[in-house]
Amino acid sequence: MGRLGSSSATRSGWPRSLLALLVWGALLLYAVWPWLPGRGRQARPRTIIVYGFSILGDALDRSVLPAFARHWRAETGERVEFVTSFAGSGTITNQLIMGVPAHLALLSLELDAQRLAAAGVIPAGSWKSLPFGGVVNRTPFILLVRPGNPKGIHDFADLGRPGVQVVHPDPLTSGGANWALLAEYGGTARHAAPGHEREAGTAVLRGVWKHVVAQAASARAARTQFENGFGDALVTYEQDAVHGNGDKEKKKKSAPKWEIVYPPSTVLSEHTLVILDKNATAEERPIVRALAAFLWSDEAQKLFVANGFRSVRDELNGANPAFGKIADPFLVADFGGWKKVKKDIVDGIWKGEILPAIGK
Amino acid sequence: MSIVLDRLSKRFGSQTVVSRVSLEIEDGELFVLLGASGSGKSTVLRLIAGLSVPDSGTIQLRGRDVTDLAPQEREIGFVFQNYSIFRHMSVAENIEFPLKIRRVPAAERTRRREELLDLVGLGGLGGRYAHQLSGGQQQRVALARSLAHKPSVLLLDEPFGALDVKIRGQLRRNLREIQQKLKVTAILVTHDQEEGFELADRVGLMDRGALLEVGHPETLYAKPRTLFGATFLGAGTVLVGRARGNEARLGDLALPIPPEVEHEEGSRVRVLFRPEQVELGTAQPAEGAEAGRHPLGKGEIVEQSFLGALRRLRVRLPPIPGTRQAAPAPYGEEGLLVDVVQPAEEPLPGPEVWVSLRGWHILAPPRPRLLICALPAPAAYPPVLPHLVEAVDAVPILLAVDEDGDEKGTEELRTAVLERAAAGGSGALDGAEVLVRRGDPAAEIGSEQAQSLYDFVVLSGATGPVVGGLLDRLSTALLVLRGDKPTLQRILICTAVGEPGKADVRVGGWLARRLGAEVTLLHVNVRIGGLGGPPEPWVQSHLDRGVATLRALEVKSRSTIRRARTPAEGILAEAAEGQYDLIVMGRHAPRRGPLFGAKSADITLRILAGTKTSMLIVPADE
Amino acid sequence: MTQKTKPRKAPGEGSAVLPVSLLLAVLVPLLLMPLAAVFVFAFRGGFKDFLSALTAEDAQFALRFSLLIAFLTAAVNAVLGTFAAYVLAKYRFPGKKPLTIAVNLPVAIPTVVVGTSLLLLWGPIGLLGKALAPLGFSPMFAPAGVLLAHLFVTFPYMLGAVKPLLDELEVTYEEAAYTLGAGKWQTFRYVILPALRGGLFSGTLLTFAHSLGEFGATVMVSGNLRLRTQTAPLFIFAQFEAGNVEKANAVAAVLAALSFAIFFFLLRWSGPAGGRTQGH
Repeated sequence: MGRLGSSSATRSGWPRSLLALLVWGALLLYAVWPWLPGRGRQARPRTIIVYGFSILGDALDRSVLPAFARHWRAETGERVEFVTSFAGSGTITNQLIMGVPAHLALLSLELDAQRLAAAGVIPAGSWKSLPFGGVVNRTPFILLVRPGNPKGIHDFADLGRPGVQVVHPDPLTSGGANWALLAEYGGTARHAAPGHEREAGTAVLRGVWKHVVAQAASARAARTQFENGFGDALVTYEQDAVHGNGDKEKKKKSAPKWEIVYPPSTVLSEHTLVILDKNATAEERPIVRALAAFLWSDEAQKLFVANGFRSVRDELNGANPAFGKIADPFLVADFGGWKKVKKDIVDGIWKGEILPAIGK
Repeated sequence: MSIVLDRLSKRFGSQTVVSRVSLEIEDGELFVLLGASGSGKSTVLRLIAGLSVPDSGTIQLRGRDVTDLAPQEREIGFVFQNYSIFRHMSVAENIEFPLKIRRVPAAERTRRREELLDLVGLGGLGGRYAHQLSGGQQQRVALARSLAHKPSVLLLDEPFGALDVKIRGQLRRNLREIQQKLKVTAILVTHDQEEGFELADRVGLMDRGALLEVGHPETLYAKPRTLFGATFLGAGTVLVGRARGNEARLGDLALPIPPEVEHEEGSRVRVLFRPEQVELGTAQPAEGAEAGRHPLGKGEIVEQSFLGALRRLRVRLPPIPGTRQAAPAPYGEEGLLVDVVQPAEEPLPGPEVWVSLRGWHILAPPRPRLLICALPAPAAYPPVLPHLVEAVDAVPILLAVDEDGDEKGTEELRTAVLERAAAGGSGALDGAEVLVRRGDPAAEIGSEQAQSLYDFVVLSGATGPVVGGLLDRLSTALLVLRGDKPTLQRILICTAVGEPGKADVRVGGWLARRLGAEVTLLHVNVRIGGLGGPPEPWVQSHLDRGVATLRALEVKSRSTIRRARTPAEGILAEAAEGQYDLIVMGRHAPRRGPLFGAKSADITLRILAGTKTSMLIVPADE
Repeated sequence: MTQKTKPRKAPGEGSAVLPVSLLLAVLVPLLLMPLAAVFVFAFRGGFKDFLSALTAEDAQFALRFSLLIAFLTAAVNAVLGTFAAYVLAKYRFPGKKPLTIAVNLPVAIPTVVVGTSLLLLWGPIGLLGKALAPLGFSPMFAPAGVLLAHLFVTFPYMLGAVKPLLDELEVTYEEAAYTLGAGKWQTFRYVILPALRGGLFSGTLLTFAHSLGEFGATVMVSGNLRLRTQTAPLFIFAQFEAGNVEKANAVAAVLAALSFAIFFFLLRWSGPAGGRTQGH
């Protein structure tokens, strides 16, 4: 009595249910294909897990990590594979605190590394013992304006002019936006009369924020808004502008929707490497160390440059013709480090004075 | 016998749904279980089918005890009120389902299916689905399906309940035909009295879990034993009068009580007359002049309705002294209501009519109700209790009183009481209603007794102070059971001249007859101030009258006279010598000064304290 | 006054032009245009680009992994949900009401919260996870964790599809089968299960579809590991974040097409009596 009660019920339904079965079967087969037994899989290579903030995705996945894998194979004969995950720097930091088993992470803000240390994920200050204080690469903050620069914008201060509409990432959620704040403030403050730095920087910052018409959650989302025709100017990473979305073909086809304006003085954002030793086994540790060291090698730094990042070693930056000239680049260290900047500029001036003043 | 049910009981939580139902059904019989909704009739059917498990009792189908078998193993057919046709199967597949389960070969299945489809008149509809059939057709499919595996017993649970009246009649006739053709034993459950009468070989009447009456429809209609039977099976008037001699008295009207109806002198008698047994006239009928006409009185027509062939009338009579109405339910009106039907073409008599009876029926006396009290829960009920309950065919109600009023104890207490009741093993207390009260035992028992009338209040165990409290409150016989004798064989009835001598002999005798016990009648001759003497001659004649009363009840009895300084002393001496199982005493209504200045309660309590024998304390007639 | 001579029309009798165009006016920008935009962007670089974006290793992995998790989730919850529905519909027990609410809770809780709560229980710093991690059992940031999250989030869909049918299926159908000789399993197999067919079908499809599109809980528990725990929605999000809009859109288009197909199935082929002929 195999099919009690359905002998005559499905007579006309047969071809259709057969078709459905075939469709679902094919879908299932497609899904499990890589896991099917007998699909000659090699011995499992070592797997290193790397977390990075969003814009590093292409550079690491396509260039730097494969290059390291080749080196490692040549040197030791061992195959190494990478599992990567890219998201906003803050998101990654939260995930690391939650316990994701990453071996290495590249953060866009040193502040995030400090958060990790505070949560006990890494030893406090451990990144400082790495070359260049843990900074792997940099990228300056620049302005994007409409083709032909119709509003005549040449510096952050120009954003405060009447009739300019600014698209800006939100400093509450975006690491890049924090860098942008520092760029806007610092570019002017550095050149103000002694004793009037704060006054001058605050004035520029107020001017910019009076004209912010859209705050996006991330630098990436801000650019998308700008690309879609919103606003006259966008404050963002140079890497984002020169490397674009990694699809150079496309840019050739369509006319550019914007052009880059280099302010005379702007900050170079610095991207910090942290090593999560506690997540690595004894066998994995040498690879992790080797990879960390490799990131500062000539080869890796050149690859970063090719991907639009500026190397920590200035002599290599000439390789990318897209990089523009910045008269007076500065670093967060010039303003006392991220802790101080966060306290004085982001929280003190931007959140404490400007936001209440402009009623946002 | 196709179906034998023996003392079947079922509780849901603390509610008894089926209470000691015993029933035997012949091969090929169509038995109808009739009752209102909630009467437990469907539960009986489900117990037989194995869809529900009885708490006690046994079920036999064709000589096989199936009490512990699963429904699948009972070889029954069951038809549900909602048809329960499997919707994803065609009619043919539905009917073949039990055969497929039994791995019957396909050819045989097809043959059987066609046969059944023809039998229920659905030939050619095998390919349809439930949603393509009318309600009546679905019910036919359900019937065919339930018969497919040739069950020994067919059970039908309100099979026509969801159908139109017109279709119902036709389906009933079909069902009867099919049942007789296949000679399958069937039980049909319904609340529809007309349906029951039309279909049944025999009808069983259920009320509140109990099977009250079983009989042929005509017998049940004409001669019900119970008030419920009288009122549930059609209209009728029930008046309550009193038995005097061998007649039931309703005011001036005296109706002979047939010998098969048990009754006691002076007890209440319930008289039923059906509407068609009542005759209306414009003139006062001369009593006895017209044979078989018994005039009831003159009344006025208060309601009338035309029913086609018949006309229904309701007549109100002025109150008749010593007569009370039991049915139709009086709505707090003065006077008595009598229902009448007469052929519609008969002229309607004037507003004032004379009512007389062409026929009547006297109901059996109601089963005595026993309130069995435990304080708070008994270690065990006395062994004699089940015997007593069975002997007097009583309705037992178990009351537990929790003096401490412990909140969480209620359910535990209830469970404990039920466990103890079941521990007796005889099943006499199975399915008994259980009440749990909190507070002072005497007060709680008294208020419970006042709320719903009991015939006996039964106490057991350590009862001393409670009895004292109860004697002031009760107007019912109080039975105090002590010791662990399994029966009550020797009964001592203590009469005192001048004491109320009638109730104790009557109640004691009634109990003795049912228990098959011997009775000794005792009179204590009290010597005053040491002066003695032979008993007065009227003492002996008083005792002789008692013995005669007992003889009339067919109770073996003797009488004896003792001398003593006080009545209590004499009774205690006789009790000690005579090895009695039960002492019966009469008692005045509370707080009336008895003979010799001693309160009767004091005598009772003194005797209670002086012996270890069980006692029955009977309140005196007013 | 001419109005009065005009006969009144009941709903459904009048012209459909106005109500239908109103509905379209709402639906087109709200639902249809965004969907269309995904396809437009996916193919903006031409079909070759679309194909190469789609056949990239990580895109393929994300799609396969998403499908695999959806199949597993649907299979497990089909059984689990049916069982839960059966227990909740057929048995009476203390605490049934709070339990009924509890099992339906996942639809009401934001999926991100579900992810967080799973992390706080099973994660390396979680209540249970802390104790189990030394035993080599740590489901978070691994495929098992993704499955766990999907089972959690989609649990109510099966229940919701099957329980109403069971509630409606009176106990007498089971009892009828018993009295006809069918055992417990036979009754379930031949009476109850077929009666639930429509619900099982739509419940499984709904579960599958929701699992395929799940994002909030997955992003929390998976660690978003490329080629290991990255589902298709996570892939789309990650690629979008990284600026690879075309790559994101290619997978998004496939996902949208798949969901569309599933709901097409759901609407067209659902219903237990769908394929039944009228007998004669």
